[in-house]
Amino acid sequence: MKRSRTYKELKYLIRRLAKDRVVAALSAVSSLPIFVLLLIIIFITWQGLTAFRMLGLEMFGFRWDAEYGYFGATPLIFGSITVVAGALLIAIPIGVLSAIFLAEYAPHWLRDVVKPMVELLAAIPSIIYGVFALVFVAPIIKEVFSLPSGLVALTSSMILSIMTLPTIVSISSETISAVPKEYRRASIALGATHWQTVKGVVIPTAAPGIVASIILGFGRAIGETVAVALAIGARAKVSWSLLEPMHALTAAIIYVFPEAAYGEMSWYVCFGLGVILFAITFAVNTVAGFILRKVPKGVVQL
Amino acid sequence: MRQRRIWEKIVPLALSIPASIVVLTFLVVVVVVGLRGIGVLSWEMVATSIYHGGIAEAVVGTLYLLVGAAIMAAVVGIATAVYLVEYAPGGRLSRIVTQALNNLAGVPTIIFGLFGAIFFCRILGLGVSLLSGWLILTCMMLPIVVRGSQEALRMVPKSFRDAAQALGASKWRTIRDVVLPTAAPGLATSVILGVSRVAGETAAILFVCSPVLAPLPKSPLEPTVALATYIWLVLMTQPDPERALALASAACLVLLVVVMLLNTVAYAIRVYYRRRWGRIGV
Amino acid sequence: MEYKMETQNLNVWYGDNHVLKDVDLKILENQVTALIGPSGCGKSTLLMTLNRLIELIDGARVEGRVLLDGEDIYNHDVDVTDIRRRVGMVFQKPNPLPKSIYENVAYGPRIHGVRDKKKLDRIVKKSLQAVGLWDEVHDRLNDSAFNLSVGQQQRLCIARALAVKPEVLLMDEPCSALDPTTTRRIEEVIRALKTTITVVIVTHNMHQAMRVSDYTAFLYMGRIAEYGETEQVFENPKNPLTRDYINGRFG
Repeated sequence: MKRSRTYKELKYLIRRLAKDRVVAALSAVSSLPIFVLLLIIIFITWQGLTAFRMLGLEMFGFRWDAEYGYFGATPLIFGSITVVAGALLIAIPIGVLSAIFLAEYAPHWLRDVVKPMVELLAAIPSIIYGVFALVFVAPIIKEVFSLPSGLVALTSSMILSIMTLPTIVSISSETISAVPKEYRRASIALGATHWQTVKGVVIPTAAPGIVASIILGFGRAIGETVAVALAIGARAKVSWSLLEPMHALTAAIIYVFPEAAYGEMSWYVCFGLGVILFAITFAVNTVAGFILRKVPKGVVQL
Repeated sequence: MRQRRIWEKIVPLALSIPASIVVLTFLVVVVVVGLRGIGVLSWEMVATSIYHGGIAEAVVGTLYLLVGAAIMAAVVGIATAVYLVEYAPGGRLSRIVTQALNNLAGVPTIIFGLFGAIFFCRILGLGVSLLSGWLILTCMMLPIVVRGSQEALRMVPKSFRDAAQALGASKWRTIRDVVLPTAAPGLATSVILGVSRVAGETAAILFVCSPVLAPLPKSPLEPTVALATYIWLVLMTQPDPERALALASAACLVLLVVVMLLNTVAYAIRVYYRRRWGRIGV
Repeated sequence: MEYKMETQNLNVWYGDNHVLKDVDLKILENQVTALIGPSGCGKSTLLMTLNRLIELIDGARVEGRVLLDGEDIYNHDVDVTDIRRRVGMVFQKPNPLPKSIYENVAYGPRIHGVRDKKKLDRIVKKSLQAVGLWDEVHDRLNDSAFNLSVGQQQRLCIARALAVKPEVLLMDEPCSALDPTTTRRIEEVIRALKTTITVVIVTHNMHQAMRVSDYTAFLYMGRIAEYGETEQVFENPKNPLTRDYINGRFG
């Protein structure tokens, strides 16, 4: 009798331990994302700080020419923002209006055809967009504007706008569809037409989500590397004209880093550029999260 | 209010224009890339080495990279999802992990490249290698795999778990024998979508895995080319621009097909299982 | 006699489900007509056919005629938005729009073309007064409508419906989510409205029907089992089913 009781207790203990071990193992694995994120922040900042320490304010100088040791990042920041702003100028009207159409007016079969297309647009790797820019967009821009080369900021903006569209379209259309039926019914019952309901109730309610999608699009576009690098022309300068070649943060990194040996100035500068990029992206995503939290009571959040 | 009636008819038509632009753009991109590629690509090319005008190593390299990364990401991602959904939903660790994953999803891929270069290649001493490529791709895939797996696990009806536990199964047994198999299609979908997302990844792989054209690796500690990096390197180093674009287009087509296929498979799994189970498995 | 509203041979299907069967309902002008009956018998559906809101439901099919002042509202050349202005609706669960109190009430007149700010102010004030909300909210008209209590929100919804000057007001169990005090207030409003507006009210509460309505229709399984003056229907019902329902024999 005694033996069987101890035996049972032992089995129970082993099972508890095994279970605990499973939980322990799983929670350990689950914390990996946290570590990865922290490591990324730590290492990028650590290596980048070396550049900032060595170059100081020169990092924000106006001349960027890696071969000759000029590491002023301002034309890069400027170029990145310009190109993304241009992309948004194209993508926002097309994206938001398409989202309204898809969510409110398109018949079901059309929605089922277009939505997968939008998802596929997002799935196409950026290098393919880069090649597309080279073989299709750049020659056209070159012709239309009679430029010596089609690799200019406008080309980059156009490609980026294609890449940003899916974000804006899918998040906006989801937000619009999520506007509660009660609001629509109230509006219709008062004698409003569909468009009046959309304009007066649906869009104002979905507005925070739409804005958030735009900001998210901005964040993704500014981090886009390959397509921008191939299309932008890689001439660092500060200029308002979209018809000139420019340079960008991400493009500079991918051009310089492969040639940079560990310990060289250019190695650390690339990380410095990464820090700047990180800062911009982080700020942008925080603002988007903020706006989403501001969504008024009674409206669905993402 | 006849004005309102006219407006009602105009608005949908006007709004369909931007929507058509989106559809048109998609078609143009696919057609242009497709046509350019088809002009150059041939089965021979896929089988020939990159040193002889083909793209063989790029294709095989991509395969090596994606399979390895898929396995790693599946293990880590699904385990994380299991923990988040089954063991500690809403717990403190879960909230931090979810927040970390969201932030990770927003990190530009070039930052991953820089991180991989300093951490995996230098600090961990793995050098420019397939293994570094696997590790960095896994990091990039995690948010997608975890999110998708969470959804798949959540869709498993509570009744399944209750039934198993009523029969005396422990929590872990229940998960292992009931929940995971039921959620399997959804879990597979999330991994496939994660793979599709990194299949065309250039910057990160360029830095940690293939800074130059390289032959096939004989071990995970050697560098590899992938389709995406092959395209980039060809465009950067090939002296003849026409030839460069031709080779690039061919590789683009293969890459495009791969990505489309992965997405279609994921979509098909989703649709098939939605019909069978009614929404189980995402 | 011409009725304010009338249904003739009204039949409604949800898919294959035949929900309303050969309904001939008569609504007299400036009277309160109550629709009573067990759950699921089609009361709300019937209400929704009166302002064509049924058309928002996927798979709903309507056959028969619904007359407003003698004209079939389902005619092809009828402007449905005008019908909905003339036949207003208050829902079971208060559904204020995500706007300020003022904008909620002003929304209706605005979409029907009223632009003059002074005119809108007047309309908002009159509508809020009609439901007894003016004194409570006149100093915070720009507050979000969600800051009001549930009872106040429902009164706001009534004010909103009144702002477009409807001829008929449809009310779908307007008090079922509210406490007794608010319910009494709303019943007062209904009685006051009677002089200018025709009211059709769906209610689960038979006492409410007795308090508030002049005529009552008893719906059973999609058909009108009894119709008549409220007093007669409740005290001397002709149909044994009605008697059973009133005596609580079935929900």
